[in-house]
Amino acid sequence: MTTAALEVKGIARNFGGVVALRDVSFTVGEGEVVGLIGPNGAGKSTLFEIVSGNLSPSAGRISYFGADCTAMPTHLRRRAGMCRTFQKVRLFDSMTVADNIRVAASQCLPPGRALHDEVAAILAQLRLQAQAERRPAELTLADRKRVEIGRAMAGHCRLLMLDESMSGLTHEEAEHLIVEILALNRERGITVIVVEHVLSVLAAMVKRLIVLHNATVVADGTPSQVAHDPVVIEAYLGTKQSALK
Amino acid sequence: MEAPATMSAIPAAPAAASRMPTRSLLYLFLPVVVVAILPLLPFVNNYIIAATVRALIFISLGQAWNIVAGIGGQLSLGHSVFLGLGCYTTGILFNRYGVPPWIGGFIAMLLSLAVALVMGSMTLRMRGVFFALATVAVSLALVQLSRHFVDLTGGADGLALKFVGNSLWAMQSRTPAPFLYAALAFVIVYYWITRALLTSSFGLAMQAVRDDEVAAAAAGVAVFRTKLLGFLLSAAMTSLAAVLYLQFYMAIDPEAAFGLSQAIQLQLPALLGGLGTALGPVIGGALMIFLSEVTNWGSTKIGVEGLDILVYGLMLLIVILRAPSGIVGLVFKNAVSGGPR
Repeated sequence: MTTAALEVKGIARNFGGVVALRDVSFTVGEGEVVGLIGPNGAGKSTLFEIVSGNLSPSAGRISYFGADCTAMPTHLRRRAGMCRTFQKVRLFDSMTVADNIRVAASQCLPPGRALHDEVAAILAQLRLQAQAERRPAELTLADRKRVEIGRAMAGHCRLLMLDESMSGLTHEEAEHLIVEILALNRERGITVIVVEHVLSVLAAMVKRLIVLHNATVVADGTPSQVAHDPVVIEAYLGTKQSALK
Repeated sequence: MEAPATMSAIPAAPAAASRMPTRSLLYLFLPVVVVAILPLLPFVNNYIIAATVRALIFISLGQAWNIVAGIGGQLSLGHSVFLGLGCYTTGILFNRYGVPPWIGGFIAMLLSLAVALVMGSMTLRMRGVFFALATVAVSLALVQLSRHFVDLTGGADGLALKFVGNSLWAMQSRTPAPFLYAALAFVIVYYWITRALLTSSFGLAMQAVRDDEVAAAAAGVAVFRTKLLGFLLSAAMTSLAAVLYLQFYMAIDPEAAFGLSQAIQLQLPALLGGLGTALGPVIGGALMIFLSEVTNWGSTKIGVEGLDILVYGLMLLIVILRAPSGIVGLVFKNAVSGGPR
């Protein structure tokens, strides 16, 4: 493994008496594409919120490229290149697609040519040029998700965290999006963490899976290893066959 | 990063987008010319000029409120706080110490900024209605304070500016015509500030916060700082326009300065014309004063007081129910707030 892009150490989070996360630890190497799976209520979203800075952990530490960022505000994490999308797409509805991307890019780049070029490059890379002057309400779900990814990576992105970006998409749309995400990883060297429910979707794009169950990590390995892990099969997948569907 | 070959098809950067086509410039230039030559027209008397000045002052005040509420999405219900601070500070400094409004207005702006900084720091981190309620609470408190300190503010009777005759230094005139040009300058400057803001990085950040605070933070926007700076800008603009308000009306009292009915009048131009647009407060402010003059005339004729408030209320209801994007939204179908109009 190369340099650690993200190191999660002993993260715990309680909501009153409810334990949402318990001693969660893992490391994601720079340039990796890692999947994070788990059944509903496993703690995936809570972990995402903590890593992105929207929630504070009850215990534990988060390091980003070697620096402790546990207490760092969300916007500073983003400016440092820690980017995310949301489970339910959250775009700026009054703005055009280009401005959605521009607003994020402008937090990292000075106004002028560099900013314009960055917006242009992202629109081109995500095939959104034709929609650049449209508003989110006029877009398909797939395009809205694409805009959100574009906004997430605009300006400066080293770690991209995608929260169920494939949900609600057709098989074809999901395939296109996977190709684009992998291209971002390959061409821009962005480390990617993908939260998904469907293992078959993740198996097509990641070499490593982390499985959350009952608020903690129960497996960490290749998709094949995870699919054959008896704990995972019992806790989450049900049967080996259904896991790989 | 290397730019793709398709770059030319990409929409222009904000700075370029803010450049207006010649025809649009002409549409904006014409009303400016008409207002500027108003005193020269034979059928125009001081009453019409005074009504126009009132409209221009409320357009400026509405534009200032539009920045915090329309662009920034922070509902400052008691924004008259800054109108009152601007008027009273300038008036007291002039009456008691002979400080001209040019300097007094600057001091008033600094005081407004200090008050806005304290209010904003305490409430803008919270989500929900706390900020709106805080502005109302401060405005109500200032109504009482200005009534209480009679020696300083004139109490409930208010404060009348000492009249020194026509004087540029004291910003006073026996006729309304000089105020017409001053108010017109305010409208032009405030309009351009709003336009520039809408297409600037900071303006985009304000709109992002208005649309979705969580997503804005995830896009790298410093949410609290953006809200606070927007509020400070709006407060400063309001208190500067308040100087013109006081010099024109020559008097101020607690209700006219800090009262909630005054606060509503500051909001109406943007609400009627179109929240979050640069043109909205201009159209809304002009309409508001026109309606005010008509209803005042009607009130006198039929002997019913407060008809203007009734008409404002009705207008507001119609706008909220039928045209939430205001008149600009009705005329320009695509001009949801965020566009440079």
